[in-house]
Amino acid sequence: MTQTGARAGAIEAPALRARRRLRADRALPYALVAPLVVFIVGLALVPALFTTVEAFFRVSPLDPPTRFAGLDNFRALFDNDAVRAAAVNTLLYVVIGVSLSTLLGIVMALSLQQPFRGRSAVIAVLVLPWALPGVVEALIWSGIFDANSGLLNSVLASLHITGSYPVLVGKDRFATIGLIELVQVWQMTPLSTLLILAVLQVIPGELYDAARIDGCSPRGLVRHITLPLARPGIAIAMVQALVATLNVFDQPYVLNGAASTGSSVMMQTYFLSFRNLDFGAGYALSLLVTVTTLVLAVAVVRLVYRRVDL
Amino acid sequence: MQWTTWRPSGKGLIVPSAVVAVAALVAACGGGGDSASTQTRGVTIGVALHTDGPPKSALAEFTKETGIKVKWTNIDWDSLQTKISAAATSHTYFADATDVDWSRVGEFSKTGWFHPMGDYLNTSPMTADMPQLAGFTVKGKVIGIPYDASFLVTTVNKRMFAKAGITRMPTTIDEYTADLRKVKAAGVAQYPLNIPFAAAEGLSTYWYQTTAAFGGAVLGQGYAPQFEAPSSPGYNAMQWMVDAIKQGLVSPGNLNTTDAQGQQNLMAKGKVSSTFADYSGNVGTLYDVKSASTVTGQVTYLRTPGAAGPAGNVGNPDGIGIPVTAKYPQAAAKFIEWFTSARKQADFAGLHGDQEVIEGYTFPSRLSAFKRLVAGGKVAEGDRLFKLLSTGARPAFPQGIPPWYGQFSNAVYTNIHGAATGEKTVADAIKAIVETANRLRGGS
Repeated sequence: MTQTGARAGAIEAPALRARRRLRADRALPYALVAPLVVFIVGLALVPALFTTVEAFFRVSPLDPPTRFAGLDNFRALFDNDAVRAAAVNTLLYVVIGVSLSTLLGIVMALSLQQPFRGRSAVIAVLVLPWALPGVVEALIWSGIFDANSGLLNSVLASLHITGSYPVLVGKDRFATIGLIELVQVWQMTPLSTLLILAVLQVIPGELYDAARIDGCSPRGLVRHITLPLARPGIAIAMVQALVATLNVFDQPYVLNGAASTGSSVMMQTYFLSFRNLDFGAGYALSLLVTVTTLVLAVAVVRLVYRRVDL
Repeated sequence: MQWTTWRPSGKGLIVPSAVVAVAALVAACGGGGDSASTQTRGVTIGVALHTDGPPKSALAEFTKETGIKVKWTNIDWDSLQTKISAAATSHTYFADATDVDWSRVGEFSKTGWFHPMGDYLNTSPMTADMPQLAGFTVKGKVIGIPYDASFLVTTVNKRMFAKAGITRMPTTIDEYTADLRKVKAAGVAQYPLNIPFAAAEGLSTYWYQTTAAFGGAVLGQGYAPQFEAPSSPGYNAMQWMVDAIKQGLVSPGNLNTTDAQGQQNLMAKGKVSSTFADYSGNVGTLYDVKSASTVTGQVTYLRTPGAAGPAGNVGNPDGIGIPVTAKYPQAAAKFIEWFTSARKQADFAGLHGDQEVIEGYTFPSRLSAFKRLVAGGKVAEGDRLFKLLSTGARPAFPQGIPPWYGQFSNAVYTNIHGAATGEKTVADAIKAIVETANRLRGGS
């Protein structure tokens, strides 16, 4: 019995080692992705879950204790004039920002599609606005827009193009949003350009050659080859612009303060949470922004994105 | 190993991965507020303020005296306020001593985010020497100790006024307004008055000061709004401010000008001739500084013109307190005691030369320190300022700062800004602010 058992053990030992090795092999990928899992779970999923739950609670250090509130936070948001105005403003930011940055991104990507001397340098310079923090950009532009001592009005006035204070952030809602969004478009467009350019780079030259032989005009090449094949890049560019504009904060806050003429939904989230200390309402508004972002992003992808096999 | 054919099959490994993630999260988000120590010697405390810290030599002297090292963090005011709220609500350590702004005293009192200073220091003897300590006291508890004596005061460019033929400084609002019109009519300044109409806190405080000048306060007993009636000081103050921009006394560009921008880019550059609610230290720290100003020696403090004569000045001092999440509250208290002592305040303001000076420090909150500075000739127009501080400076909210001040102030500056842009009338702006105040009172 003992001898048989020992022999069996000797036979099983390699199998056991093999199993252990297999298990170790299987564990390795988990170990490698564990840090990423920690980050995603800890910094995205858990806060998202926490926000979702707390959105249905009254959470305010000025009105303790924390208690279940059902949909009260959401009702309060819809009754809040400042939030409603900010929602309309944000919609305008999204429409202007996504369309303008995508359009400019396409134009700039097309301009950079063909190699030319200094192209790398141009791309490097192009990336700079994207690399700058939003607050820094807004501060730079506040020096340009400043009505009393800014560059823009000084130049316009010295050229006698306009009277005093033609460009005034804060005076009129649409002008204010347009000027603020111009700053954000300046920041977002480089990334849109690079995303679209990356897709344009993989379009085979043979396609263009064949089309030219068939008599296709340069405009036709763009319309029938470039744009359809660039749709994956355009879709991604639009989604990143959508996320950025829906979450716009730095630019309106620095350039226009808390004024209703330019206030965004994300600013209201900040005000509700940290100025009013009504964290429940802040969570609820964050949740609404998240859901809106998801819905719109999916809609953009479904409308614009097309799988391209080259 | 073939990565392409690998499939996750070890369910047992998912659980440990999740545990690792959750453990890391707990470690990251874990509080530190319950581990306060009474230790003082050999500890390092964190101090976070929006002002520059004392010179290294001064901090070294403090360490030598007490055995406490100080790690100073300078954060801008807005970010600091957010950090204070975020740390308090998440019960996370952030600093052992930090800013207690006058405007948040009511809020901090209600939320209990700061230790009452009386638990660590004998604050009673400070009262006589620190008139602004009252503004940091709620129901007998001192939330923070004021470390400067900031208050709002009228400044005038006397050279520009003289150019316009004004020989006698105004003492009433009517005289002041008429003088501004003279400056404009004489072509000395296209827009003689600086009012920071950007929708930000500076606009609210400007209105509180103007309301005080018109002879009233914004909120009364039980935080009841005092500005609803068209004849009230608050209503008149707002009307006066909005009229000023509509009638061309204030530049249309000021719609997006903050208080600091107005002082630095307009007043200090000689583009305007007066700021009605200016910061008390600005003559010495800005207007008379050659590198930042083109009007050195031209700007003077003026007893704030009021409805029927010189009016009081609203205080907006900065304080320092101990958050309840502090690790070393006892050590932090020792630092605050040192930092707000008369001896050190005089040093920080430059009594003994530049070596001990804190860059941008205005005035000591202690009258005794202020007196020594004035006697030593270290404060521009010190006598006048000392008189204003000791007799005229008063809290913006004499009955105490409401705990919902943040929301109230937001309503104030967004609505005044709206009235200035023409988006709404003064009556509508007043109505909206009154409604906000009443709603908040009802819920407080």
